[in-house]
Amino acid sequence: MSDVLDDTATDSNPVATRRSAAGRLYHGETAIDFHGRRFIGLGASAVLLLVSLVTLVFGGLNLSLEFKGGVVWDVPSETLTESRAREILDANELDGAAARIQVLSSAEAGRTVSVQVGDQPDAVRQIVQKAFADEVGVTAEDVATTSVSSTWGKSITTKALRALVIFLVLVALFITWRLQWQMALAAIASMLHDVLLSVGLYALFGFEVTPATVVAFLTILGFSLYDTIVVFDKVSENQERYHGSRMPYADIINVSMNQVLMRSLNTSLAAVLPVLSLLVLGAGVMGAGTLSDFALALLVGLLTGSYSSIFVAAPIVTLLREREPKFKPLMGRHSTGAELERLVLGGTPSVRRDPSRQRAGDADRPTPKSEGLTHEPRPRKKKRRV
Amino acid sequence: MRKRLVVTLVGLFVIAYGLLIGTLATGTRPALGLDLQGGISVTQEPKEGTPFSDASLDLAVEKIRERIDSLGVAEPEILRQGNTIVVNLPGVKNQQQAVDLVQVTGQVYLRPVLSQCQTVDLSALGSDTTAAASETTGVGAETTVAEPQTTGATETTAGAGPSRPVSGDNVAVAPETTAGIMPISATETTVPMVISPAPDTTGVASETTAAPETTTVGSTSPDTTVVIGPTSSVPVDENGLPIAISNPTTAQFLPTFGANPPEYCYVGPAQGSGEVFKDNATATVLNGGWGVVVDLRDGAAGNDVWNSLASQCYYKDTTCPTGQLSIELDGSLQSVANVNEPSFNGSVQISGSFTQDEAQQLARVINSGSLPVTLQLQSVQNVSPTLGRDSLKAAWVSGFVGVLLVLVFMAFYYRTLGLIVALGLTVSGSLLWGIVSLLSRTNGLALSLSGIAGIIVSVGVTVDSYVVFFERLKDEVRAGRSLRNSAMRGFQGAWRTIVIADLVSLIGALVLWYLTVGAVRGFAFFLGLSTACDLLVSYFFTRPMVLLLARTSWMEKRKVMGIEVSSAPAGGAA
Repeated sequence: MSDVLDDTATDSNPVATRRSAAGRLYHGETAIDFHGRRFIGLGASAVLLLVSLVTLVFGGLNLSLEFKGGVVWDVPSETLTESRAREILDANELDGAAARIQVLSSAEAGRTVSVQVGDQPDAVRQIVQKAFADEVGVTAEDVATTSVSSTWGKSITTKALRALVIFLVLVALFITWRLQWQMALAAIASMLHDVLLSVGLYALFGFEVTPATVVAFLTILGFSLYDTIVVFDKVSENQERYHGSRMPYADIINVSMNQVLMRSLNTSLAAVLPVLSLLVLGAGVMGAGTLSDFALALLVGLLTGSYSSIFVAAPIVTLLREREPKFKPLMGRHSTGAELERLVLGGTPSVRRDPSRQRAGDADRPTPKSEGLTHEPRPRKKKRRV
Repeated sequence: MRKRLVVTLVGLFVIAYGLLIGTLATGTRPALGLDLQGGISVTQEPKEGTPFSDASLDLAVEKIRERIDSLGVAEPEILRQGNTIVVNLPGVKNQQQAVDLVQVTGQVYLRPVLSQCQTVDLSALGSDTTAAASETTGVGAETTVAEPQTTGATETTAGAGPSRPVSGDNVAVAPETTAGIMPISATETTVPMVISPAPDTTGVASETTAAPETTTVGSTSPDTTVVIGPTSSVPVDENGLPIAISNPTTAQFLPTFGANPPEYCYVGPAQGSGEVFKDNATATVLNGGWGVVVDLRDGAAGNDVWNSLASQCYYKDTTCPTGQLSIELDGSLQSVANVNEPSFNGSVQISGSFTQDEAQQLARVINSGSLPVTLQLQSVQNVSPTLGRDSLKAAWVSGFVGVLLVLVFMAFYYRTLGLIVALGLTVSGSLLWGIVSLLSRTNGLALSLSGIAGIIVSVGVTVDSYVVFFERLKDEVRAGRSLRNSAMRGFQGAWRTIVIADLVSLIGALVLWYLTVGAVRGFAFFLGLSTACDLLVSYFFTRPMVLLLARTSWMEKRKVMGIEVSSAPAGGAA
């Protein structure tokens, strides 16, 4: 690393030669004032969260058998009708009217009638399995059954929730250690935002929540945290870099967001493409039903995961930090436009806030990084010679 | 420096592709989980609010594994997560059979032996001996598959219960059918074990017979043929012998544990459970050989039950005509021993020709039986294999297409650097395939749908590592640094980011893996594995690859990265 000073930009005046919007994006020269528009993002998120919460509270989630407990018989038959299935249940002293019956059709597996009732003893499950098999003329083994006791459903839910809480505490500690507690708070808040939005989507459309869905929610959780940390790492790097200069916190955030924008777009595209393929090709064209739940939840989660890092997590950190004594005097004076663009390209803050150091043409000249230091390097410690 | 980079790169290539070729060549493939190949999943948990010993639960898991192994199910998955036992049986179609198999009780029963134990002549099994039941103990229906809705099994021995012993004559039932007849050569087996009061409490020095096992093998005189289990639905092990399902209310044939050749004993209904003992059984040296010493619980639940049983056997009552008492755990007789005293006072010792291991196993069984676990069926899931096959195909195809799309995008955006991503993904893919194949061979890991989906999703995270690196590389190059310098600085910055972000994923994977069950656990495993692979590949593949390429003049062409590279050599521009 001999060439610390080797920092001269090839283009001496990047602001002067404007590229198209896409070109600037490609070359990392965007200067979007994210901070100034923070309330658009926060507001949109707040509205969506409110909708999610309202549907969750009033609609509730459509939990699958694994969480509620119950018995399902999947009867392969081209002819079995819903009413006949209910009669069979009634004949076996089950409440046929209360059963949930779905008719599923797929090209390869044919028509299947899925009959679901509440928690039943194992003996009842077998008797009814036999009854259905006799009715449609197959062996009992061909009628697939699934039974889950309601206590078991509760216990896996509690286990998963406990795991989640422990995970969040550990992650918060980890982020506090490697970055800052404000970032830990913001990362977890934006993660909750993403998970709540996907869960809300399930409540809104009444999709069934299966163990596969829970796996999808967890993936969203993981991805959201991952993405936020990549973004925050950039912020943290810029905090160190501008440590000596008097710069509003909003500027640090704005610069970081612009620098990380292309990476975020690329990553979300790279993450979304396989999931989109899973949804369109796997679930849509090839008809693997288990996959559609999963892929849909993931798609929404991955998109919000990338979005929330920039539009939710970053504003929260700004909110928490811009009032600190160091940044408070500079609040509300963040750079925009050309000045921001200059900062994004690696320039140091303009000296306009410090008139004593102003020199002509300073604003246009990208300054080497080392000039950003406002204080002299600490003199080398004298080593005692033996 | 350059040499080290080349060595690192070549090393990783050799490991990754070697692993891939090795597993492909030996035909090791990832085992497919239940949701992919179809089968049955049964979950059990101890009954809530009932105390049980850990030893008992351990033993129950072992017992389940033993039964499933003897059934010869390919790639079974037996998971113990906390107190929950999950058994996944891929490829098994008969649900009832699976449920019966995995429902071990953990109960230890004391059952009198009604007739001498006999070895099974395996060589005679193949012949279609349709000999009818003979002798006194021709028993048919007793080896029953417990079907809760039919009470047929108990009807044959109406009135029989642990408290009301039934004489051997009453339970002799003619076989209903000759299907599944198994000839047993009537070889007398000298029982090598003896039960006697502990010397320190009774002062009676019990003379142990300590007879060597004189089990004669292979005397194929089928004059005494005993029929076991005529019902065809009884699960059968690899030797064609029925896997015994314990029914403590009726007399039945049960195999003795670990006997080779297989040995069956006809035992009466249970007259007591392992709860008569305290859980202080220890294996110790008795009379020069290994044995087990255990104390009895006081009062009606312990001493009284045991002594009434001991006296029946000592005086060879009709309920215990052989004078032998067996200790049964889930359908296999852990010990068959002569009772040496009619009355015991607080302590029992079992001696015989035990090895140390056998004595310790027996002590474990007795301890677990003193506070047995009661497992409750929590869920039975039947996954249809047709659905599984479709899902698998869909997941593979869409995953493949998805990765291809990502590569096209990478090539579009990063131009030739996209090739590095493609190469890197083959390295990650080879590593993942190799590790999953190896683990599924050695540890019984199965690749489930959520696992595959986890891997597909991890493609995004893996690609992100390249994106973070390349973006930094471009930033550095734009700032006018030489390529070689940019590559080094770029990686340092990117590596910091990658490590922090991946560590969070790893923490999540570990926590979820330890604390959850089922699909979530499978997902956590594959998330952790692919994250670890990401770290490995970033450091040992991407870093040396880009650093080495950055030294060539090839990278400086505009089309390689899509941006202008300053042609000034390092350090020369300032």
